[in-house]
Amino acid sequence: MSSIDEPIPIEGVTYRQLEIEKKPLTPGYVPRDPALVPKANRAAVVNPVRTCMPFGAMFAGLGMHRGLPFVQGAQGCTTYVRYTFCRIFQEPASIANASFHEDAAVFGGRKNFTEGIRNLVVRYKPRVVTVVTTCSSEIIGDDMASFVKVAKKRLVSELGPEDGNRVRLVLVSTPSFAGSHVAGYDRASRAFLETLAADHSRPNNRVNIIPGMLMPGDVREIKHLLAEMGVAAHVLFDISDVFDTPLMPPQTLPYYPEGGTRVEEVEDMANSMATFALCPNEGGLGARYLEQKFEIPAFAGPVPVGVRNTDLFLERLARVTGREAPKTLRDERGRLLDFMADTLHHTMMKKVALFGDPDLVTGLTRFVCELGMEPVAVLSGTQTKTFAADIEGLTGEFGHTPAVFNGSDLFEFEETLKTMPVEVLIGNSKGADIARELRIPLVRTGLFVYDRVGYQKRPVVGYRGGERLLADLVNAILDSSYPEERTQQL
Amino acid sequence: MPFVRLKCNESIPERDKHTYITDCKNPLVPRCNVNTIPGDMTERGCAFAGARGVVGGPITDAIQIVHAPVGCAYYTWATRRHLSDQYAWSGPGRLDNVAFNRRYCVVTDMEEKDVVFGGSKKLLKTALESIKLFPEAAGVIMYTTCTSGLIGDDIGPVAKQIEQETGRLVFFAEAPGCSGVSQSKGHHVANRQLFGQINEIRRKRPELITPEEERTPYDIALVGEYNMDWDLKVILPLLESIGMRVLGTFTGNARMTDLVRLPDAKLNVVHCQRSATYIADLIKEGYDLPYVTASFFGIQQTNKALRRIAGHFGMEERAEQVVARETARLQPALDWYRRRLAGKTVAIYVGGPRVWHWIKLLEELEMRVVAGACTFAHEDDYEKINARAGDGVLIIDNPNEFELEEMLESYRPDLFLCGLKEKYLGRKMGIPTLNSHSYEKGPYAGYVGFINFARDIHQAVSAPVWTLVNGKETVFDHVEHR
Repeated sequence: MSSIDEPIPIEGVTYRQLEIEKKPLTPGYVPRDPALVPKANRAAVVNPVRTCMPFGAMFAGLGMHRGLPFVQGAQGCTTYVRYTFCRIFQEPASIANASFHEDAAVFGGRKNFTEGIRNLVVRYKPRVVTVVTTCSSEIIGDDMASFVKVAKKRLVSELGPEDGNRVRLVLVSTPSFAGSHVAGYDRASRAFLETLAADHSRPNNRVNIIPGMLMPGDVREIKHLLAEMGVAAHVLFDISDVFDTPLMPPQTLPYYPEGGTRVEEVEDMANSMATFALCPNEGGLGARYLEQKFEIPAFAGPVPVGVRNTDLFLERLARVTGREAPKTLRDERGRLLDFMADTLHHTMMKKVALFGDPDLVTGLTRFVCELGMEPVAVLSGTQTKTFAADIEGLTGEFGHTPAVFNGSDLFEFEETLKTMPVEVLIGNSKGADIARELRIPLVRTGLFVYDRVGYQKRPVVGYRGGERLLADLVNAILDSSYPEERTQQL
Repeated sequence: MPFVRLKCNESIPERDKHTYITDCKNPLVPRCNVNTIPGDMTERGCAFAGARGVVGGPITDAIQIVHAPVGCAYYTWATRRHLSDQYAWSGPGRLDNVAFNRRYCVVTDMEEKDVVFGGSKKLLKTALESIKLFPEAAGVIMYTTCTSGLIGDDIGPVAKQIEQETGRLVFFAEAPGCSGVSQSKGHHVANRQLFGQINEIRRKRPELITPEEERTPYDIALVGEYNMDWDLKVILPLLESIGMRVLGTFTGNARMTDLVRLPDAKLNVVHCQRSATYIADLIKEGYDLPYVTASFFGIQQTNKALRRIAGHFGMEERAEQVVARETARLQPALDWYRRRLAGKTVAIYVGGPRVWHWIKLLEELEMRVVAGACTFAHEDDYEKINARAGDGVLIIDNPNEFELEEMLESYRPDLFLCGLKEKYLGRKMGIPTLNSHSYEKGPYAGYVGFINFARDIHQAVSAPVWTLVNGKETVFDHVEHR
């Protein structure tokens, strides 16, 4: 059966044969109507850098052990999101749907909800169901709080009190027209803690971590930092073993990934020493809820990307827990610094543009400043109250004054970059076409990386994440900026 | 009793009517194209997905505007691999062939105030701005979704106004996600509405109709071909080699004016017979233009398609020449793959007609289909499946995730042909999978495309990783499975 001794007789169609001709219309850039370039001047959003609020709530819900999101809306509301998860993580993503059809739109979604929850729970036996609302359920005015009560009652009467009460329903209200995926995750963090966390006045000597929409590799890296510090933690929405699972059949049916945060852990979060929402806009609501309700100190961001931010995270962790950072972490820090020193000629004064979700972009901006790069344009797809001031403040420390876009779209970003001498672009896969037009490399980071493999597996947070990022950056610069014979003798 | 109850469906007996085992003497048509049971973990999408993602999405020279909050637009932005000979990026300069459908995602980004006060004005403004920003585009295609549909935004008058103010071509599809049971409804709605708009344009702007001197007796239009991973690059030369001239495609690599010219053909060739027979029917009725159905998947079916099309024009001989030439050229490769794949079993899960298209195709590789499932097939699809499947094949209509898991676990097929969402699930079960919706490394159509398909199947099935996954003796044998 070996193909070595017996070559394939003829080939199919290769991609090379499918190449097509470009028909140039103009030799140089023709600027688009400048009056319409700023997003503020337009009704149209062209090439958004954010998606819908339910996405964030589903992301969170899938981070629970035996957790299934249930989306009160039309089928596309789950199919598209599942599709996106599959593209990003190359993993299955199980999400249930109320299957809104015309009758639900007319008569409301109560029947779909109670029946749907029943069907889901009876067959799948989840531990926690994240109830996610959508544009449609919010517009038709579904009274979800009362639906949840009715559904729960039905479960208890059908399954008996033990099984019926075992499954927890957490309602997250996420009308898409009121915010982005960032807000969806943020709201989910509060909804879970409001619904599940309970004060037993028994300190658990742990800290709470709400990672935000970081990748499995990032959550693993955070756990590594905690383990090195000797700190035990509850991670809310721990997707690390949900969206990066081993291939180890046979599987038990229905298929659930092994990982995820357990309901008991969320309940116990009211007894922790402190809460760290690594991304302030993605989990900050949950951290602040615990602070107000149970007086648990809350730290919201900055995301521990780069040297200073990781230092800050560990300093706070040490202060809260009374533990000292071990030598192993000092070594990790030292290795990153060594790497930065070794590569500084490639990073210094390089002009860089960044886009993505507000928290990660803010962290990345500080890191590129630490590398001696010059951020010339920074964009957050989701508008936040602090983004502009945060970026201006931290870049000011390094003497830079980038153009800041708070809640803008990629069209404005791209047209602006065409007037700037940018050398590197940092952002998600949606920047690929821009990078090609500008003829600069794109270093892929953030939530929507689906056209390169492995991003989700390796961290960007922590000192080791910094090494990975720096390697990606410098390799991209080497690939694009120097003739080959130079790079062969670094 | 050919209907079967899967173990996972014991608590949802309604699902029994959707699952059966084929029996040639006793053919059954399951309950299909009906509402999904809420909470059953459906794989279906929505009507908007059918209209925007499948039908309108491939049209390349139009600015695609989604009238909705940002999510619906974001998820349909350059997701599906319907390629075109237009570029998404140009380097410095502007191109004559820009793929607006993949390069730009335009959305009205409805916010709370638009939901409360209505969004029609915002839609109009968005469209006018986009035309100003992208003057090289031929026009716009607009879509409504749940949000704009539920609050009752009226898109027709907006379209008219855009047309009047700019003179551009305007198409639109009103297919809110919650209308209809699946994406199939969106195909239907978009077909009907686009046909109406094509008529209207032809009436108002007769200069866009193909002039008499440009017509040939062998003009055909390809309907329901979406150019997945460049299928058209394979199909078009075949049609040309039997003497046809392809006037336009609905809608793979299509320009807006191509659509206007669709009714000028002498014959329509329907490829996807689920999503586009509607418009072929309408054109037949309205323009007295006949159509034939054709499948370009697999050798036998491609042969048949060429013969059928050529036969319509009395050019059987040319078809025979092409068939003889191509099949002879293909034979060695076919033998090569057949030797490696013969006897292996397959489960197919696709949207609609590809199950019955591919039963034939897999037979040519001497593979055996043991289970099949369709997301949105209708009665006629199941009739065709029954005619081709043989006895004892498990068929599931609108399968949910649990049913697919059970199907894979109990049949353990050597290959699972499916879409992106299911392919990772199949892999967790240790079963080789292949994305057959938008392909792994296509094109898969026609003769040479068939070799690509066979190659991808071979690569999926024979990868050494499966031996390692399913290998029995490892040092971890004492470690208990959860």
